[in-house]
Amino acid sequence: MGYESHKIANNFFTSAILLFLIQIVVGIIAALQFVWPDFFILNFNTIRTLHINALVVWLLLGFMGASYYVIVEESETELWSIPLARFQFWATILTVGLVVIGYIIMGFYPQANITVFGTLLLNEGREYIEAPRWADILIVVSVLLFLLNTTMTAWKTRKFTDVQGVLIAGNLFLALMYLPGVFYTKNMIMDQFWWWWVIHLWVEGAWELIAAAFLAFSLHKLLGADRTMLAKWMYIEVGLVMFTGILGLGHHYYWIGTPAYWLWIGGIFSALEPVPLVLMVWDSFRTTKYATKPVENRVGLFYTISHVVFNFVGAGLWGVFHTLPQINKYTHGTQITTAHGHIAFYGVYALLVLAMIYIALPTLRGVKQFNQSRGYVAFWWMTISMIFITFSLTGAGLVQSYLERVMGLDYVTVKSAYNHYFWIFRAVFGVGFLVGVLIFVKDFFVAGKEPLAKAS
Amino acid sequence: MSKKTAKNFFIYGSIFFFLVLVVLTIDTMIRVPKRAPVITAEVDAGKKVWHKYDCIGCHTIMGNGSYFAPDMTNVAGRKPKDFLKKFILDPRAINPKAAMPKLGLNEKEADNLMAFLEWTSKVDTNKWPPKPVLAAARKEASTGQAIYQNQNCAACHIVGGIGGTAGPDLTRIGPKWKSEELTRYLKNPASVKTASAMPGFAHLSEQELKDLSDYLLTLQ
Repeated sequence: MGYESHKIANNFFTSAILLFLIQIVVGIIAALQFVWPDFFILNFNTIRTLHINALVVWLLLGFMGASYYVIVEESETELWSIPLARFQFWATILTVGLVVIGYIIMGFYPQANITVFGTLLLNEGREYIEAPRWADILIVVSVLLFLLNTTMTAWKTRKFTDVQGVLIAGNLFLALMYLPGVFYTKNMIMDQFWWWWVIHLWVEGAWELIAAAFLAFSLHKLLGADRTMLAKWMYIEVGLVMFTGILGLGHHYYWIGTPAYWLWIGGIFSALEPVPLVLMVWDSFRTTKYATKPVENRVGLFYTISHVVFNFVGAGLWGVFHTLPQINKYTHGTQITTAHGHIAFYGVYALLVLAMIYIALPTLRGVKQFNQSRGYVAFWWMTISMIFITFSLTGAGLVQSYLERVMGLDYVTVKSAYNHYFWIFRAVFGVGFLVGVLIFVKDFFVAGKEPLAKAS
Repeated sequence: MSKKTAKNFFIYGSIFFFLVLVVLTIDTMIRVPKRAPVITAEVDAGKKVWHKYDCIGCHTIMGNGSYFAPDMTNVAGRKPKDFLKKFILDPRAINPKAAMPKLGLNEKEADNLMAFLEWTSKVDTNKWPPKPVLAAARKEASTGQAIYQNQNCAACHIVGGIGGTAGPDLTRIGPKWKSEELTRYLKNPASVKTASAMPGFAHLSEQELKDLSDYLLTLQ
């Protein structure tokens, strides 16, 4: 294994993929509730809160695990403090556990969500950042401890690599951008305004910085590509991500009550957001073509390239389709957004964390080779299912946009009568996705620990 | 381009665009209060009710939320207030097919939530949601049908596939009612069905009520 610190990364990865599994199971329940609202003992809002919170938390745990792994590999030294990292891990898990218990209690007894010291005790009722104030504080402390530990590790050796720099900058930006979502705002317009600072500047800002740093690290590790070249392109990519993404935030400010100039700003800058994503595709294909060493961890490379491709498809294409105000006027608030959300989160961030897990796996298990076939099987089950989930939701969204926004039919009529079969397709492919996740989870626990298959 | 140039391009470019965002944010904060009515104590209390019951866990508002239930931005402009309040207090008593569960709001919470939804319906959202094309192209065949349109009955009722689902589907309502009884019902629903959540249309003249019920009786 090399470094004792890699046990920390392994802990984070284990918890991340268990939450991933939970996310998909509750996702299937939520999908069935579109057809039968009373299908489960908990109402849709609770199930949906669990679905999206599990997503955010498992991705963050995955980022933290991957960051601990990358920082140690780049610095070629143990973490600044392993006990602190261990404490940070268990404190995070405890906080997440308490928040989930709170959501479930509230699901059964909505009245239990009482106001304490001016804030709601169990659920703040704001999408994605439902976690109550006391949990916000604990989450911020956890992220600060994580930042301290990774930064001090980089500091210890005075080796400051470009990957470390962008990775730490991304994590710092992530921590700072959590803060605009912590405070209560009387005005619903400003409430949503600040809420989007968190959501948008995370997924289209800070998280993309982290993704670009991981990409440069992975291409070097897997292919032996030149570090200076990789770093240069990484800076160009993250530069363009920030130039388009920061003001691309405007595409969320078309219809929430904010001034009309956001229509222009959001439209222009968000239409340019796919540019860096195309560049990443080109960069990773070119680097792969000119690999300077034979690729041992093929499945790791496969997931990395797939992440780059689906970053462009999910975040780029499925985003840019409906980002112009002229189109968004009809598609805003419909299943088109849901379709984009699913393929983008899968392509950009789920595949990224899974790629980082496969890249770290040989080191974590202390082997040079492992049986890679299950990784591909899991990939195809998940990816084909996600493509069909996206098609089902896109179909539902087109029908909904047309019938509801153009024809003026009622929301409930469209949902229950015209989109019925789309919900059924989505649930069926959700089960297909679950199969893929189960194969992946099995692979995570057995790969590297079993005898190698003879012909692989 | 050297690595160093690329690095500076990233760092200084990001700082520049972030500063632009901060300036635009300050401008937005100055302009936003003028784009919506004043926030009263009831509106603020209603917003807290909105958060307390995690309404966004199913609904959208200004188009953001969970896409599982109707958008609430201008619901107060689309549906009668009395109906909305009764529905929120016990959805399935009003519409047995409703997907919404009884969340246990009390009277005061429901009133505050109404105030909040009335506030959001008056926010200047740059004309979103768009007015459906069909509504503009629709022509009335009879006086009664014209009244059906201008009283916005379709907000809650369906005729021939078009309309809302808060109230019963009226597509084949004709044979189920007698003319005199229906006119009385339209004027004051509670006088015929005590549990009805439909608001009365007593502000219409006797002739208008008669025309409306004549139109409804033709639906079969």
